[in-house]
Amino acid sequence: MSEALVEVTEAHRDFDTGKVVVRALRGLNLTVCEGDFLALVGPSGSGKTTLLNLIGALDTATDGQVVVFGQDLAALSRRARADLRLGSLGFVFQAYNLVPVLTARENVEFVLELQGVGSERRGRALESLTDLSLADLADRRPSEMSGGQQQRVAVARAVASRPRLVLADEPTANLDSENSEALLQMMRRLRDEQGMTFVFSTHDPLVVSYATRVVSLRDGLVIDDQKGSTTAELA
Amino acid sequence: MTGSMVTRLATRTLGRNVRRTILSVLGIAVGCAVALFMTAFMRAGMELRVRAIAQSGFGHLRLAPAGWEESRDEDLRLTDWRAALAAARQAPGVAVAAPHARTTGLLAFGTEVMGAQVLGVDPEAEAGYNRLIRSLAQGRYLQPGERGAVVVGRTMATRLDVELDDPLMLTVVGAGGDMEYAMLRIVGIAETGSREIDAGICHVTIEEAMALTGRDGVAEITIAVEDAAALDEVARGLAAQVPPGNQVLTWREVIPEQGGDARSDRAFMNMLVGIVMVMVVLGVTSAQLTAMLERRREFAVLLALGMRGIQVLRLVALEAVTLGAVGAAAGLVLALPLVYHTATTGINFAEMMGGEMAIGGVLFDPVFYADMGWWMVPQALVLSLVSALVASVYPALYALRTNPTSALSLRP
Repeated sequence: MSEALVEVTEAHRDFDTGKVVVRALRGLNLTVCEGDFLALVGPSGSGKTTLLNLIGALDTATDGQVVVFGQDLAALSRRARADLRLGSLGFVFQAYNLVPVLTARENVEFVLELQGVGSERRGRALESLTDLSLADLADRRPSEMSGGQQQRVAVARAVASRPRLVLADEPTANLDSENSEALLQMMRRLRDEQGMTFVFSTHDPLVVSYATRVVSLRDGLVIDDQKGSTTAELA
Repeated sequence: MTGSMVTRLATRTLGRNVRRTILSVLGIAVGCAVALFMTAFMRAGMELRVRAIAQSGFGHLRLAPAGWEESRDEDLRLTDWRAALAAARQAPGVAVAAPHARTTGLLAFGTEVMGAQVLGVDPEAEAGYNRLIRSLAQGRYLQPGERGAVVVGRTMATRLDVELDDPLMLTVVGAGGDMEYAMLRIVGIAETGSREIDAGICHVTIEEAMALTGRDGVAEITIAVEDAAALDEVARGLAAQVPPGNQVLTWREVIPEQGGDARSDRAFMNMLVGIVMVMVVLGVTSAQLTAMLERRREFAVLLALGMRGIQVLRLVALEAVTLGAVGAAAGLVLALPLVYHTATTGINFAEMMGGEMAIGGVLFDPVFYADMGWWMVPQALVLSLVSALVASVYPALYALRTNPTSALSLRP
């Protein structure tokens, strides 16, 4: 049986807006295992992004427990959470969010530099881009790339440090089907070849079709959890 | 190598919004240039003040009898003044040591009479530092050991209704308390440009003053130093060599009102520089804060990726340093022509001062200069970098407070 990387137990997350308290998660339970290619699906407001924030150590649960790589996130300091994100987690955002004044290579290199990688970071950044067939984009700035290319570079940035877990928030939301397909194939390859675990929040049926596990959320709770090696099996 | 990406990001950030960067740099540059000009003016003003004081007869230092500073009694005499004079003239850093004998008397010509403080001088020594000698409108200055001669100021000559070569009767109280008289011929009339100073000029040779009063002694030895910047050092060296019973005073102690004026001038100028820099800081803070608002998503992403707070602060500080360094260079470019012009041509305040160029007995040159030098480079850097760094504090804290969760929810 695969190792559990993430264990979310009875997680609650309330947001006090001042007038009302929004209960985004209401005692959610979820275990993410090593090698999962997991799609979080559900309507807007179901708690997908909130759950990603908790797993990504960007936010803390109001109640309940979130354990990532054996560490209870509630017990970690702000700096320790930053170190966890930097060292073991990769993020892919819907809006690419590359630093606009840095080239593709420099965007990847920047994260490696934050990790304290020394002189070899340039080589590692290029290696990461080459692995994802992006070497020809290395010296381009985000404004000189298409949305699909930017998102692939964002994936290269997320995986350059070989994180065990990559969290992606609607990574295909701004891409056409061709670019979405290429991106998903790339991430599947990373999962298959390097053993990375992926968790997506998505509305995109194409992402779901690539997932080995689909977790459906509604009103802050898991209402369905289907596992299989491919979507065909899930069906 | 570590840090190079952060540095690259910081420097390239200046190119994101060129107009804002130019405005920020211009703000820093103008503030820096104004501050540099004011400082250049203030530095030169201080030098000019000290020089004016020294050349107005006060010297840089004064050897005075112990207790003179408190009592200001002009009847006090130096202890063993010849030894004191010899020590002063041999002391390192001393350019001129001029002995002065003082006495109060009445000057009379015909029916015109006026009181005057008579200064007995060593004409050779006096010529070495006292600008009064250069302001003779008529006649000449005294000769060493000359008797029966006097140099008066234009105002005094006018009040006594005398001209060059006219005889003046000088009446003083002698050592024994008797009235002593002397007939003196006017050999020179000084016209400094200040009625206040011209009204007090009555120079005779030191030999004349001693013979007239019957007292062998001088009230003070006025000292001009070679380098005014080393004044305190010279004073300390001199104090160790003069005979006991005498004291070494600096110009600040001899004319404390001028020292106070210098301090208040400096404080006022520093305050103006401070106000200018505060305005610069507020302007740059506003521009930088706008930049941070525009880059909120970027900071959220960087924090989400694991960038630590200290690294965010370092990034913003580096951006500020880059902005400050460019601002310093631009500030120097703006300030140099202005400072150069003022340093070489000066600004003539003669009309503004209404012809009176004396303050508290000190004859000031109406042309004011600025001090131009290498000091401007570090000063420009310090002013610009500090103001840019201070201006970046609030924007940096704002960036630091960015909630990284927003990185996952912000849409492009």
